[in-house]
This record gives sequence, C-alpha cells and structure tokens, in this order.
Amino acid sequence: MSLLEVRQVLKRFDGLIAVDGASFEVYENTIKALIGPNGAGKSTLFNVLTAFDSPDEGRIVFDGIDITGFKPQRIVRLGIARTFQNTQLFEEMTALENVMTGAHAVTKSGMLRGAFRLPSAVAEERDIVEEAGRLLRLLGIEQWTDVYASDMPHGLRRLLEIARALATRPRLLCLDEPAAGLNTVETATLAEALYRIRDKGVTIIVVEHDMGLVMEISDEIVVLDRGQKIAEGPPRLIQKDPVVIAAYLGEDDSDDM
Amino acid sequence: MMRKGGVDLRILVLLALVMVSLCVVPLLTSDRYQLKVLTLVGINVITVTGMALLFGFAGQVSLGHAAFVGIGAYTSAYVVSTLGWPWLIGPVAAVVVAALGGFLLALPSLRLRGHYLAMATLGFGEIMRVVFVEASAVTGGPDGFSGIPYPSLAGLEIDSPAGNYWLVWGVAVVSMVLSANLVRSRSGRAMRALHGSESGAMACGIDVTAVKVRVFVLSAALAGLAGALHAHVIGFISPASFSLHVSVLIVAMAVAGGTRSLVGPALAATLLTLIPYADAVIPGLSRPLLDAIQAYQEDAYGLAISAVMLFAPAGLAGLLRRAVAVRGWRLA
Amino acid sequence: MGGTELLQFAFAGLKNGSIYALVALGFTLVYGATGVINFAQGEFYMLGGMLSVWAYASLGLSLPLAGIVGIGATALVGGVFEFTAVRPRKDGDPLALIIITVGGSMMLSSMARHRFGPTERSLPQFSERANLTVAGAVLEMQTAWIVGLTAAAVAGLWYLYNRTSLGQAMRACAVDRDAARIVGIDTRLMVTVSFVLAAALGALAGFAVTPLTQTAFDVGPTVGIKGFAAAILGGLGNPVAAVVGGLVLGMLESMSIAFVSSTYKDAIALVVLLVVLFVRPQGIMGRSGRRKM
Repeated sequence: MSLLEVRQVLKRFDGLIAVDGASFEVYENTIKALIGPNGAGKSTLFNVLTAFDSPDEGRIVFDGIDITGFKPQRIVRLGIARTFQNTQLFEEMTALENVMTGAHAVTKSGMLRGAFRLPSAVAEERDIVEEAGRLLRLLGIEQWTDVYASDMPHGLRRLLEIARALATRPRLLCLDEPAAGLNTVETATLAEALYRIRDKGVTIIVVEHDMGLVMEISDEIVVLDRGQKIAEGPPRLIQKDPVVIAAYLGEDDSDDM
Repeated sequence: MMRKGGVDLRILVLLALVMVSLCVVPLLTSDRYQLKVLTLVGINVITVTGMALLFGFAGQVSLGHAAFVGIGAYTSAYVVSTLGWPWLIGPVAAVVVAALGGFLLALPSLRLRGHYLAMATLGFGEIMRVVFVEASAVTGGPDGFSGIPYPSLAGLEIDSPAGNYWLVWGVAVVSMVLSANLVRSRSGRAMRALHGSESGAMACGIDVTAVKVRVFVLSAALAGLAGALHAHVIGFISPASFSLHVSVLIVAMAVAGGTRSLVGPALAATLLTLIPYADAVIPGLSRPLLDAIQAYQEDAYGLAISAVMLFAPAGLAGLLRRAVAVRGWRLA
Repeated sequence: MGGTELLQFAFAGLKNGSIYALVALGFTLVYGATGVINFAQGEFYMLGGMLSVWAYASLGLSLPLAGIVGIGATALVGGVFEFTAVRPRKDGDPLALIIITVGGSMMLSSMARHRFGPTERSLPQFSERANLTVAGAVLEMQTAWIVGLTAAAVAGLWYLYNRTSLGQAMRACAVDRDAARIVGIDTRLMVTVSFVLAAALGALAGFAVTPLTQTAFDVGPTVGIKGFAAAILGGLGNPVAAVVGGLVLGMLESMSIAFVSSTYKDAIALVVLLVVLFVRPQGIMGRSGRRKM
C-alpha cells in the first residue's frame, strides 16, 4: 500500500511556479527516486514533503494522515526523516552525539530528569547510546564514533547524517542528493547502505543527480521538469522514455542517462 | 589533528582540586574582605553558568541579564525584608519571578534572530532599570534597598562571612553540577544542536523555539537565584548593581570563558570579578596599582571579549583544551 | 493643555527626534553595508561631543572649527574601529560581531574617560541670538541649529546616495552584497565608508546637542539604544525610514511627557523598541516580512 501520497502539490516563489501540481505515491518498503534537470523543482518538492516548506495548494498524506502544513518536528514524530543537500550536522558534537541527537523525537527525558540524572533518564541514555552505536555500525562508520563531525571526511559525513536520520526511527527516509560529492567507492558504499536500510523496512525517497546510482537502486522514478511530473515508472522504462530524454537534452550539463 | 569527545578524567581531577581548594579557603583566612570578595565570585559563577548555557551551548545572547539578577534581588529582598516571610521563600520566589520574566521576554523575542534578540534583551534590561528606579515603593528607588537580612536556614541566621561563603559556593557548585549533567543529557543535546544547525535540529524533531525558550528561562532563573543571594549576602541593592554595564559583564564572562564549557566561563567569571578586588587575592598590592587596575577594568573587559571573538573564539575553555592536548594527555 | 504648551513639547520632540534620526542613520548605514548592528554607534555620538569640547577648550579652536575637528576625528575613529575590530572577523558571524562591537563600545567610552575625565562637559550655544517665539512657544536657537544641521546632513546623504557613484555602490551593497561584489564593487571599502559616515553622523548629533544637554563619557549607550529603537521603528536598512523613525520617536517621547507623565519617559523608546520588534520587526515603513531577519 502507499505510505506517502502527494496530491496536486503547487508551490510558488515570488509569482514563479516552482512545483506545478505534482502528484505521486510512494509504496511501502520501496526506494523512490525524484529526478529532473536543474531547476525542475525537485528541491522545492523535497522541502514540501519534509515540511520545511508548505505548499500553496495540494495535500500530502502520510500513512492515511493529512500532514499538509505540519511543522518539521511533528512529521519527524510521525516517522518522516530527512537529510540535507548541504549536510546539516552538529559540527561540535561527536558522530555518536549527532546520532544520539537524532533520537530526540523518540525519547522523552526532560530537563529536570537530565539535570538530576534520575534513573529513568540514565536508562534511557544507555539505550540511546546503544541504538546510536548500532546505527553507526549499520552505516559502517563505527570507527568514527568519538570524532567530532567537523573532523570527518565529506563522504562519511553524508553517511553520518543518514545515521542521524535513522535514529528518529523513521518509516520514510528522505535523502536530498546523498551522493553529491562522493567518489565511486563511497557511492557504492552508500548504495549498499541504502539496500540495508530498505531491508530493515524503511521506505526511501531520494533526490539524486547521479543517474548511475538512481538507476541501480530505485524501484520507481518520478521525473520532474519545470515543476511538472513528466514521467513515472521503473528505471528501465524511464531510461527509454522519449519525453524524459528530451527534457534532459534540453539542458546544458545533461547527466549521463 | 583529530579531536575526540568524551569526558576528560584529568579535567575531573582538576575540578576536584578546585573544589577542595574552595573548601579550604575559609579555614585559611578569616579576613572579612577576602571572604566577601570570594563570595561575590561565587555569586557571579552562578549567573555566568546560566549565561554559559544560553550563549555557549544554545548560541543565543542576552544583553539584559542584569535585569534578571535585579528581579531576583528585589523579589527576595521584598519577600523577606518587607513582607517578613521566612528566608528560604525569598530565593525561591526570586527564581520563580525571574523565570517568569524570562519566559515572558523569551516568548516573543526568540522568534527573532541574532542582533534583534540582543537588542530586545538590551531594551528589556534598560526598561527594568527604569522600573527599579521608579517603582520606589517596592525597590527603594535610586537610593536602593538597604537592611536586607542575612540568609537564615531552619531559624539559624547565617551572618558570618564564612557562612555566606559556604552557602553561596554550595549553591554555585550544585548549579554547575546540575548544568553539567544537563548539557550531557537529551535536553542538553537539543540545546547544543540549535547552536550547530537549526535545520539539523528540526530534522531531529527538536522544537527549536521551545528549546530556546527553556534555555532562556533557565538562565534567567539562575540569574534570579544569584540576585537573591547577592541581596542577602551584601545586605544592600540599588539600580546601579543591575545596569547595562553588569549585563555586558555577564556576557563578557561567558564569552571569555568560551563556548561548550561550564568550567571556562566559571574561571573567566572568577578572574573578571577579581580584577577590581585584586588587593583581596594579591597581598601587599600597592594602592596606586590597585587604583590603576580599577581604572582600567572596563578596558580590560572590552578588550577581553573583542579579542576572544577575533582571535580565540573558543575562549579560556579552548585554551585549556589546547593546553591539555599539547601536554599529550590522552582523552578518556 | 493649551496649543502653546503643545507646541513647546513638539519643539522638544523635534530636537530629540533629530538626534535620534542622526544616530539611527548611523545604524542603518552600517546595517546596510554589513548586515550587523554596530553596538558602538552610541559611542560615536559621545565622541562627537567630547572631541569637539576638547578641540574647543583645549586646542582653543573656534566653535565651527572645533565641531569639524570633533566630527572628523570621530569619523576617523569609526574607520579605525571598522578596520581593527570588525574587518578581522572575516566570516561576519552576527553573534560574534555583536560581542565585538559591545567590547569596542566599552573600550571607546573607557578611553574617553581616561582622556577627558569623568565630569560633564559643555560647549557654548552656536549662536548668541535671542530665542525665537512661535505662537507663544519658545524655539531655542540651539534647537533650530540641531534641526537645521540634521536637515543638512540628511540632504547631503541623499545627494551622496542618489547622485554619486559612491552612493550608488553603497546602495547596491545594501540591496545585495554578493551581487555588488560580482559587478566589481569593492564591498570591503563600502563597509569602511559606512562606518566612517555612521561615525560622522553620530558625532554631528553629539556635537550639536552638547550646548543643550552637556556630554560625558557615559552618554553613549542610552542614545545608542534610542537611535536603534528609531531605526527599528522606521525599518532597519532604509535611510528615509531611519529619519522618519527618529522624528516619530522624538515626538512620541515628548507627547508622552505632555500627556502621561515624565516618570517613565526614558522607558518610552524602549517599550516602542520591544513592541516594534515583537509585532512588526520590519518597521512602520518596511515591506518585507520576517523572512529577511
């Protein structure tokens, strides 16, 4: 069944229409890619999906709940997590602490319990540390546990951000250009990690420019051009779709399809 | 060089040493002046701990914190001296009223960013100063509020300098320990996350505004607590004790102490508080030299915070960490 | 209250409003060029007065010359301040710059105290002619001077902004610094120029007001806050709005004394500041919403 439903979403900026009535569904336990030429409206749509921006028209329904206009912290609690194109890590915290912070929404110790280190807070803290360690291992970055995020190499920072997103225990993980700036080895590691995450029952939406990665990992692809959905389907069909090819040929720095 | 996180055992040892020496001081000296100065240091450590949470961990700034110190001081003085209620109710009321004031200011202000927040708090501080002067029925007006009784617990008045020293430093150490626990807890991570990246914090499900309000209220409450102790230990308060100058001094201590640290700001508070009372800690300091030090303390504060922001944003805490790293101490 | 009395309060409002307008212009110029609030702006006002007094009393210059020296020296201080305190912090982090300018402000007022002492200083009135009487209300000559000098400064600034290439470059910076840099404007120079101008405007206010109110090393912060309140009231970043904000604030203060009480007159500007910040942070003349903050 569909976990996320995007219905006729429209978003304007200063009179320009960035997303023009896009609709699609994301099925549970699949990887869906959102692609399109530069300026197609992918990032805008992504921000609307993750509640960092609200649509001017249209609805977004997650697991049967209309989440249009919700605040980010609320949709995180419902089970939607995200990463950022420009990683938004907590630079002055260690990798472990970054992931532990991701567990904020699924834990509940308040200031008093924390300040007085009440048994319930201490127990919760122990669980968070364990969980965070597990996630760092899942993404293969456990040797960086106690290193400050600012000191980690670029590619691993992206993995750390995914680990942090997973700590919110999402049902839907939204990744904004996770492969940007990664070399081929790192991209392969990423693909590997994404399969593992999906196999743990997490649905994934990914906005990505690296077509090799997109074609390899996605179960379904939505293609946007000038704010509109121009195609949707499995990778092998999208690759041959004349409309998609035309859209990509229309731009200068066409990615290798 | 790769930095690592975690608790530094050596720092803990250092802390233990500081605690021991704190305890030893009243046994070594019975000089009223010395003890009074060191008590003032303790009061400022309480205030700066709140400011360190706000500035160093949550990345917000308040240029009106003296107002909360003042609110605490006047509240406690009024409750205990004017209303004649038992002493302990004074500081409790001070904390509650200061926290409430912090909440009312934070709610609209914290939607504002950076310099707007700084200006809003600055404006609030100045308004409160006018109120302290004008609401003379409660505050005693520009002449101040005098004859505030000494602290007393369980019917026992703490009127000796050593007693006040113990009380204030006891509260200061408890405040610091609780704050240290806090910054390592879930709520503390949320605070530090704000400083790191607000977008990142939101993506972790952190209610950014709520966390900002909570930290602000907490820092206002600590300022109120320090104010209450100040009122009872010194016995006299006046609007001049809570001026813009004091607000800036509180920020200066937190800034010079460094971000992500409680020990650094406490150390900076100690040093900056001692400047005008240098004769209390340096025996045989000549009068003209002391006068010169006092005359130039403003310059020292101003230079200290500007220089830290320009050349050593990590402040004293950063220097400490670096010293520890240079000495090759392993981090636990 | 009669019309004459009201007019008298209006004159006072106009006088204070002009001062606030000049200080607010300083805030706005620096904000336009750098995106930061210069917490030392009030000290330029203080220095303008103190340095003019020094030029007049110690150097024995004539009053107009003393004013020029005072304003020029303060402008120089503004430039040096930018160069030594603001420019080295290259990332332009607002929180850091707030603290740096606060620290600079402390040092400037402290230096003034070391050099000129803690006492209040004054200057003679700019002209010895008798005060004017307008519909029964007395318009002090010095007030006329203050308003006139403010008007002249605003006109000069208008000319600079609209008729010179330097002004064009400054406006471009205020609209979009990155774009200005791309089209070849020396944005760093514009930052320095804005500090120099802001210092000169503040100093002019300090010089003009000293014969009426006297000056001292510690007058900076109070006027600084009121000038900032005026800049916010009008809408930060817009010079016209700064002038309007200053005049409106001066009038509000005056009228509150006339109709309410003088007890809380110093709090009026602060309350206005907080209300505007909370309710309409873009100011009365601002258009855009909260986004740009």
